[in-house]
Amino acid sequence: MRVTERLVFQRATHDAASAREAAEKANADLTRGTRVEHPGDDPATAGLVVAHRMTGERFAAIASATSAAADELEAADSALGNASHALVRAREIAVRFSSAGYSQTEATAASQEVQGLMAQMATALNARVGNRYVFGGSRDAAPPFDANGTYGGDGIAREVEIAPGVRQQANVLVGGMAATADPTQQTAFNALSALRAALATYSTAGVQATLTGLETGMDQVAGARAQAGVAMNAFDAATSAAKLVSDGEEKSESKLNEIDYAAAAVRLQATQTALQATYSAVSQSFRLSLLNYLK
Amino acid sequence: MSDLLSILSNAQSSLAAQRALTATASHNIDNANTEGYSRQRAELVTVTPAEQVRGAFIGRGCTLGTISQARDRFLEAQIPRALADAASSSAQSEALQAYTGFDVGDKSGLGAAVTKFYSTLRALAQNPGDAALRSSFLGSAQALARAFNTTAQGIESTRSGLDADATGLVGEINSAAQAVAALNAQVRAARASGAEPNDLLDLRQRQLDQLATLAGATTVATSEGDVNVVLPGGVTLVAGARAGQLGTLPSASGHVDVRMEKLPDGSGPVALAASALGGTLGGTLAARDGALADALTAVDDLAADMAGALNAQHALGFTTTGAPGGPLFDVSGALGAARSMRLAISSASQLALAGSAAAGPGDATNANALLATESAALDPLDPARRGVQERLAAIVSQYGASTATAKAFAEQDAAVKDHLATMRDSYSGVSIDDEMITLQQAQRGYEAIAKVIQAADSMLETLLNLR
Repeated sequence: MRVTERLVFQRATHDAASAREAAEKANADLTRGTRVEHPGDDPATAGLVVAHRMTGERFAAIASATSAAADELEAADSALGNASHALVRAREIAVRFSSAGYSQTEATAASQEVQGLMAQMATALNARVGNRYVFGGSRDAAPPFDANGTYGGDGIAREVEIAPGVRQQANVLVGGMAATADPTQQTAFNALSALRAALATYSTAGVQATLTGLETGMDQVAGARAQAGVAMNAFDAATSAAKLVSDGEEKSESKLNEIDYAAAAVRLQATQTALQATYSAVSQSFRLSLLNYLK
Repeated sequence: MSDLLSILSNAQSSLAAQRALTATASHNIDNANTEGYSRQRAELVTVTPAEQVRGAFIGRGCTLGTISQARDRFLEAQIPRALADAASSSAQSEALQAYTGFDVGDKSGLGAAVTKFYSTLRALAQNPGDAALRSSFLGSAQALARAFNTTAQGIESTRSGLDADATGLVGEINSAAQAVAALNAQVRAARASGAEPNDLLDLRQRQLDQLATLAGATTVATSEGDVNVVLPGGVTLVAGARAGQLGTLPSASGHVDVRMEKLPDGSGPVALAASALGGTLGGTLAARDGALADALTAVDDLAADMAGALNAQHALGFTTTGAPGGPLFDVSGALGAARSMRLAISSASQLALAGSAAAGPGDATNANALLATESAALDPLDPARRGVQERLAAIVSQYGASTATAKAFAEQDAAVKDHLATMRDSYSGVSIDDEMITLQQAQRGYEAIAKVIQAADSMLETLLNLR
């Protein structure tokens, strides 16, 4: 092939530019630490990185939500524990005063203590986490129980996503423990109210009659605690699983897009060596000309 | 004596021929670095007929035959297509790489906004009555709308930039066409004197290469020696000494269309199909109306489908006052769903998160249903039933695939162009070594002929001094 001056200089320009570009790219890759910047660098990886990143963040958000739900249920469980203590104490009083041998004064004092236990139970079941009353159903902006045990909440179950498309109930419904218009219904507050009234008049038969209601009330609280426990376990498991997935997605994203630093460093060295070699070859080719020999 | 005088006359002619050889080599050396210059060759020919002396023919020296250009017609015929393809694919590749809105390293783009939107919704679904969480969700909804606006606006800005490029290219093409037409006239006039105007031919070829690069134009030689220029769709741009003119006009889409304002014969305007333009202009328009337009459509569709799904679900919910929900996003503007997207509610109290009118502020039934749109199929007609994440990943991948394809074609076409250009340069370019040898050759020849003149002169003097 006939080699002309323009060819020599154009080739020099092209080769130097190519070697320079390769060195700059290797440098940029090493500095940035990632393989893909523009989607055109690797279309499939770019799409997968977006997918992994969004999935990872989604599961991180799920983990955060389930963790918060578990914390709330823990508070609910603690509140139910306090309610349980109140009922246990009320039952002790009922057992004591279901037999005769106590004075009216003692019975009146016991009635006042039961009144206090009712208030304690209402306070427990008006537990708040943040600005929410956890036992109010959807009416969580105000205390669900008044001092007499009347329930102002509702029975709407609140759900939290534990996995994409899968939800778990996150609240415990305690409306069944409330005082009702029909005092013969077996509820915790009805039993406490009946016990208070029976002790006020020291009716041993009346006191005895509250024992079943109190048992039912304690069962209600135990059932609610069991429900809270099951839900807490579900949320704890979901939190662990979601964190695992989130970490896994982050690792997948890194694996796809992070460069192999050792290989990148070697590539940078190789391109810089190639650049030096190109400059050397170009300068050599410029020196060779017939002009240098013709005098 | 006549023979000696013939020798002197022949030597004179031969000296002139050697001078022409030297001048041509000098011209080549002067233009060794001139872009588009084809080396010229001074072809010396023996003077005929030879002089017959008795039974023998004695030659009459040499003279300058012609000065021709070194051009390989076969190569020259392939060059315009190679230039056009390389320019077109390069323009497309550069245009697509210029848009960085889908860059993976950008953690504040559309993907991040979608994730943030659903994260704040998830937190709100746990405590829908919390004023701070409601405000936070509204903020992330606003940010989502802005992210769609920014993404779409970025694509449109890139396309508008390509419109400006196209307008500039049209001006350059018109200038080059005018130059070719003028050079056709000059070449024809110069040829009328009987010689080849090599330098004018070089100038014209440079303009033709420019037209091939800018517009994908090819050439048709005429019997009069003109070169007509034709665009890829067959529309004539230059016919002899007359040039047509390209122009731009606003299109219905808000961008620019290119058309022939005037054909060489004066008629027009004539609309041009997209396939009627090649080269840099064709590649620029292909990028604008191809991958970039497709990406914008995909982003618009995603915005419309996402807003549609969220609006439909929001309308099924109830606010804290028991009122039914209205649209969450407004995408009804004329610019396209993504650029038009706005938050349709102005206050957190308008959020319809409850499942019934009678529910309390803690009811998150509709909030959970809104959350379900994150993984639900956005488009009921989509056979793949893709959700937001899949659609967004597909948009990024598809744009990446278009860019990667354009880059691959650009590299391939550039390699073909470079190869042909190298071969053309090899054939037509100036080698200083060759020209130096030619100079040496001409110099030796000149010296030798001078010796001949000296010898003939000495012989003539001898004759004249005879007594």
